[in-house]
Amino acid sequence: MRKVSIVGIGHTVFGNLSEFDLIDIMGFASGNALDDAGIKENRKIIEQVFVANMGGGILNHQTGIASSLVSRMFMEPAMAELIENGPASGASAVKMGYIAIASGFVDVVMVTGGELMRAVTGWEGTDFVASLLHPEAEYNYGLTLPAYGGMFTRMYMERYGLTERDLALVAVKDHQNGEKNNVAHVRVPCTVEAIHDSENAHVINNYIAEPLRMYGMCPVSDGAASLILCANDSPIMKYFTKQEPILISGIGAATDTHCIHNRKDPLVLDAVRLAAERAYAMSNLKPEDISFAELHDAFVILELAISEEVGFFERGKSAEALRKGVTAIDGALPINTSGGLKAKGHPVGATGVSQIYELVKQLRGQAEEGRQVKNPKHGMAVNFGGFGNNVVATICSRGDV
Amino acid sequence: MIDFSAYGVKTLEVNAVKCPSCGKLFYPAPMICSECSERRDPSGIIFPDWEKVSLSGECKLLAWTRVYALPEGFDIQYLLFGIVEFSNGLRASGRLNVDQPETGMKLNATVVTMDNAKGKEYDGFVFVK
Repeated sequence: MRKVSIVGIGHTVFGNLSEFDLIDIMGFASGNALDDAGIKENRKIIEQVFVANMGGGILNHQTGIASSLVSRMFMEPAMAELIENGPASGASAVKMGYIAIASGFVDVVMVTGGELMRAVTGWEGTDFVASLLHPEAEYNYGLTLPAYGGMFTRMYMERYGLTERDLALVAVKDHQNGEKNNVAHVRVPCTVEAIHDSENAHVINNYIAEPLRMYGMCPVSDGAASLILCANDSPIMKYFTKQEPILISGIGAATDTHCIHNRKDPLVLDAVRLAAERAYAMSNLKPEDISFAELHDAFVILELAISEEVGFFERGKSAEALRKGVTAIDGALPINTSGGLKAKGHPVGATGVSQIYELVKQLRGQAEEGRQVKNPKHGMAVNFGGFGNNVVATICSRGDV
Repeated sequence: MIDFSAYGVKTLEVNAVKCPSCGKLFYPAPMICSECSERRDPSGIIFPDWEKVSLSGECKLLAWTRVYALPEGFDIQYLLFGIVEFSNGLRASGRLNVDQPETGMKLNATVVTMDNAKGKEYDGFVFVK
């Protein structure tokens, strides 16, 4: 297969963008990625566009989104398709872009993910995401992703002795990183005193789905992110001189049971482990080679559980690493350097693309002051769809691996 | 005119299904058996539909949560949800109506008619002590 690199990246700020149009925010991020790659009038070199979006049809009453984006950017006649894979749509779209180039089908691809979730009420947004659950055995009951996040957290706490304070420490770390990220939704620091230790902490950090509190959950965000991918062996590659190309060195994905209760051990996230193993095998890398990671912390427990499944820590030991500062920005293995979903935000269709945008930014050495990882070589992103029923892991690397 | 609604006594149940070939139980119903690859046809036209097995009674609580973020229109403070395991090994998610839930406690799975978030009626589990 051909090697594929990322030659341009773009992003909108994440937050409340509900006054804008879905295609406009995707177009803005796409324009940033084209600028970053040095593409202007020559947009026609983009042969294929993949668009990641989960809810345009439900939330924004809009379909035909990929065609619409291409037209708004005057990129016709590029081929264009929408990729909907729940909250893992973003990384799935990048995977499709990778496959299209690696197979020799095309040389240059644009991947753009976007979501406009705050166009509806908070409950309608939660209900829309819950529609990915099993209609009869889960959704009908009023079960939501936060409800499963709560049950998963309780099982983990009971088995491994994790505390609510540990959960608060994940949020504090993510907010420290998010505060310095210019595209993050929540750029406000929080302290463990404010959200846990103080006797009045519960006032600002109340339970949402016990034992998960407000600061254990990501915000509902709007936003978009975009990447330009090119084949390393393409003659076009020599025109991308503006930025250092970042190699997509490994991609893996896997699925698991639709119903969470049907997993032999509901605390084991098989799809995460398998996706990571496939990405490691493709890149010839091991967990200890990874310099930093973006892990899908829609609920803070997931940062911990995913970090164990991908092999960074033994089962039940990730909180110890967190307490010791291993996963802090200046630690041995920084996790969620962008602020993660917790602080950067989670516009579902954009998230997977945004995680890889962060990998590229860090690997180029372009992260904002105070959140740049020192001399990173390999970054890993895990984009988690459903409650772990469809997961994509991506590894990006500096230089030729 | 006969008012048939007077006879409208519906049996409330949630059903698992049994593979006619190897006997494995499933909840919810799949379209193929994970063990012997026997096909299921809900219409019963191409293949006979699988035998339904009523799922209720004694079960064990595996996980639970109390959710405070509820759909508009709910005038209660929270809803309890849980995952249980039945004595036949099948598991199910559902609502929980227990004052002080504890993981591992024995419960009884009852079936009641409820409304989902879209206002549609369905028969579902409420786990009680």
